[in-house]
Amino acid sequence: MKPENWEQVERLYHDALERESESRAAFLDEASEGNEELRREVAALLAYDEKAASFIEAPALDVAAKALASDPKAAEQLESLVASVVAHQIGTYRLLSTLGAGGMGEVHLAFDTRLERKVALKLLSVDLTTDDERVRRFRQEALTASALNHPNIITVYEIGEWEDRAFIATEYVEGVTLRTRMRGRRLPLTGAVDIALQIAGALAAAHRHGIVHRDIKPENVMVRPDGLVKVLDFGIAKYAESARTRESKQSWIRTETGVVMGTTAYMSPEQARGQEVDARTDIWSLGVILYEMVTRRLPFAGKTPTDRVAAILEREPEPISKLRRGIPAELERIVNRALAKNRNERYAQAADLAADLRKLRAALGEERPPRFALPVPARILPALSRPRATVALAALSLMIIALTVAGLVYSRRDTGSTAVNSLAILPLVNVSGSAETEYLSDGITESLINDLSQLSSLRVLARSTVFRYKGRDADPLKVGRELGVEAVLTGRVEQRGDTLVVQADLVKVVDGSQLWGGRFNRRQSDVLAVQEEVSREIAGKLRPRLSGEEQRRLTKHHTENAEAYQLYLNGRFYWEKRTPEGLNRAIEYFREAIARDPNYALAYAGLADSYALLGVFHLPPGETFPKAREAALNALRIDDTLAEAHAALGHIKQQYEYDWAGAEREYKRAIELNPNYANAHHFYALYLTMMGRFDEGLAEIRRAQELEPFSLFIHANVGAVLSQARGYDEAISHLKKVLEMNPNFDHARSLLGFAYRQKGMYEEAISEYKKRAVPVSGGSGGELGLAYALSGRRNEALKELDKLQELSKQRYVAPYNRAIIYAGLGDKDNALQWLERAYEDRSTRLVWIRLDPGLDKLRSEPRFAELLRRMNLTA
Amino acid sequence: MPTPESHEVTQLLLAWSAGDRAALDRLIPLVHAELHTLAKRFMRRERAGHTLQTTALINEAYMRLIDAQEVRWQNRAHFFAIAARLMRQILVDFARERGYQKRGGAARRVELDEALVVSPGRNEDLVALDEALNALAEVDARKSRVVELRFFGGLNLEETAEALKISPDTVRRDWRLAKSWLLRRLSEGGQDEA
Repeated sequence: MKPENWEQVERLYHDALERESESRAAFLDEASEGNEELRREVAALLAYDEKAASFIEAPALDVAAKALASDPKAAEQLESLVASVVAHQIGTYRLLSTLGAGGMGEVHLAFDTRLERKVALKLLSVDLTTDDERVRRFRQEALTASALNHPNIITVYEIGEWEDRAFIATEYVEGVTLRTRMRGRRLPLTGAVDIALQIAGALAAAHRHGIVHRDIKPENVMVRPDGLVKVLDFGIAKYAESARTRESKQSWIRTETGVVMGTTAYMSPEQARGQEVDARTDIWSLGVILYEMVTRRLPFAGKTPTDRVAAILEREPEPISKLRRGIPAELERIVNRALAKNRNERYAQAADLAADLRKLRAALGEERPPRFALPVPARILPALSRPRATVALAALSLMIIALTVAGLVYSRRDTGSTAVNSLAILPLVNVSGSAETEYLSDGITESLINDLSQLSSLRVLARSTVFRYKGRDADPLKVGRELGVEAVLTGRVEQRGDTLVVQADLVKVVDGSQLWGGRFNRRQSDVLAVQEEVSREIAGKLRPRLSGEEQRRLTKHHTENAEAYQLYLNGRFYWEKRTPEGLNRAIEYFREAIARDPNYALAYAGLADSYALLGVFHLPPGETFPKAREAALNALRIDDTLAEAHAALGHIKQQYEYDWAGAEREYKRAIELNPNYANAHHFYALYLTMMGRFDEGLAEIRRAQELEPFSLFIHANVGAVLSQARGYDEAISHLKKVLEMNPNFDHARSLLGFAYRQKGMYEEAISEYKKRAVPVSGGSGGELGLAYALSGRRNEALKELDKLQELSKQRYVAPYNRAIIYAGLGDKDNALQWLERAYEDRSTRLVWIRLDPGLDKLRSEPRFAELLRRMNLTA
Repeated sequence: MPTPESHEVTQLLLAWSAGDRAALDRLIPLVHAELHTLAKRFMRRERAGHTLQTTALINEAYMRLIDAQEVRWQNRAHFFAIAARLMRQILVDFARERGYQKRGGAARRVELDEALVVSPGRNEDLVALDEALNALAEVDARKSRVVELRFFGGLNLEETAEALKISPDTVRRDWRLAKSWLLRRLSEGGQDEA
């Protein structure tokens, strides 16, 4: 943010530099014309001028090279790093190679450095920065289609902007476009029908949600080697179309540019006439594609776009039976119906077209099994359609494996000697060799990696590392040694009739001993019914071995969208950091998760917690808590039984609304709903402590600690509760232990300082406060000043007030900080005035007002009692 | 000696200075690849006891990529501006990577301090500088660009002035204030940790 007086600062700075250094102070006093803030800002910068003389004067690369000259290993690393940044980077995406270029812009294969996966990155040549309404609709459609989570619709990961250019990052499909596929060997009829069926399935799903593609053509269809089809670019066509129309004002058919020409062949008559289009335009385009796949010719050919348009509008295509032998009459009928010029005579819905194609496909026989053809009729969502069952089955086996491995890791940890701290999950081998199980075996592997990666004490190698071993039939122990892990998980997936068999083994690398082996054999028909039961049973067995929080992560799924789930976990990871950067990233992740699955209540709860903590630690609460409340209420609207959402709301009621009874109600409800949710116990513990109910508070924080033994904040806050309960010595020894493990953990340092201060050990307190990495921060900057004040070092306390004043120019400083320093100095007027401002801001530390010994000197003041009353507290 | 692509690079550079944004996108990978090759070679030379100079490196990239007669000085400045951005990315990534490796995964910062020459007793580093530079960009984008060009791109006052289309005197003033601003931020800490 640009300070308002930046120009003035700049001018005065340079003017001052023109004077001798002795006379600068006097000059500044005068030139700042009583603007104290301005004077201090300039003076602070001037103070660094001399020191900065040689700062960064030598160019960076020279510096690096010199620094590394003595360190060959580091220099090699720089070389390889430079090599790894092969092309330039767009946001978090590193471009690897160019996949192709089209009317909408070029497409690159890129690597998402944040989530460590390959993506297809399309850089749009159109401008997304103008016309909010259009952009909004475009994003919405693209994301909505993606959120359908349909196997034949490509997943959109992100729509963003980089240096004024819009880009879309999507799932990377290793395959070719249907255009390329059609140029190759002629498709067998079954193959053509399989592809059309999958496209119809994608369209049916999209149409059900009111999304018309408008630009179905072979370039927008990807075909994987295993036959799976993915339809690309939902939402984009409409956007591009309106962009073009706006530019040219003419009907876009007549625009003689390559962009449009490529499309005319698949255009429906109504599109060609420039009329409003609906879902039936996609059915026409699919008809054209089917015609072309079967006959290798376009139904409506012509040398120029105008000729083609004329053919579309007027000519009947040559019957496909005349162009290829052995065409079933039914296929011809389907093509003709899709290509009816009057849209009322076409299939009314893609689902109907899909149904006809499916019947035809069955009649064509089992030359190859229909793969991945998953269109679901619009009106019925069968509870047990085959693919759904298979996916559910896979999910179940996966959960069992994940839980078991997690359990082992933990149980082994307990015994110490055979602990597993690092693990490589090798790609599960697809024994049946069919493409469908291949998809499942990769999917299971990937999800296992994702799930087990969430165990904080276990290092699980990334997908990119282990997938190098796919299909290599390598010796697992050798691989384990190569990768430097302690254990390797191997497995195989086999489909036998309607049964899926998953076998998994966990082997110790050092001696090849088997730590665990399991075989999961499930019939598809009963799998959905038993899924919950079985997972509960297994979870029950493992409960003593797993910490509650991690068990919850592995068992409870609040979204069907794996992407959203992963984003949520990333969000929680960053949320735990509590830094402004961490919380902002968490917010980004939660928002992305919500974009993937708008009904993902858990992500809303995460969002609420993130905004709340931004307000607790870093920003004016008035800016963040309303957002937190909105997110928490959204979460509850979606799922009223979500513990996380109730806990988040309780926290807001406590910190921001001073609704004490309401807060307690929410916490209790959260704990009732999920007794294993550590943060509910954590927040509740602080609440109880605040209320002076120390014994209960201590019990709750201990419970939180048991549930989440690796949370630094919970760990440190045990010390906070002990201190407030006046158990200073115990608090000090606990916090020292926390700091032994994490010497840079400022929050624990502050708490230790507090405990010392309470014991009257001011020097120790001051020394702890000063050891903090960020000694003066917006959230907790007043403590050092208070310690100085209490120890009688008045000048130093006043200096701390100045520092806070300085700091407040750069960032929000909670008024409470200044209140306690003034209180420590015995300046009641100023202290009460700053407390008043703290109340106006809803400074979150104000909730401790009843206990804070720093304020003891104020307690007899009527204004203080009045403040307590306004906060619904009694003295 | 110009490489086979030099004609292409020249054309792209000319197109870009004439306002064609798309040309820049095609230009960057070419420049980056070249810089990467050269940086590797320079590193080896440095280890063998030769002196490395950023400007020399970028100059060499320029000579190899550009058909110099066709390109006016101003375009050359444009080229350097891209190179500076890319050098920053390469070096900061490296420092970050090093930081992670040294401290076993914790997000600690690497110290490339000695030659950075900052106030005594403090260890500043490229990652922190990069962050501070981002912060500066929010206050004053031009000053942040000046630092990028000078520090990461190795440009002198005049070259920087050309690249940014401002006077050398403005560059000098921006540079001085920016350095104080950055050093202050690095010394006084720019983050909260609660």
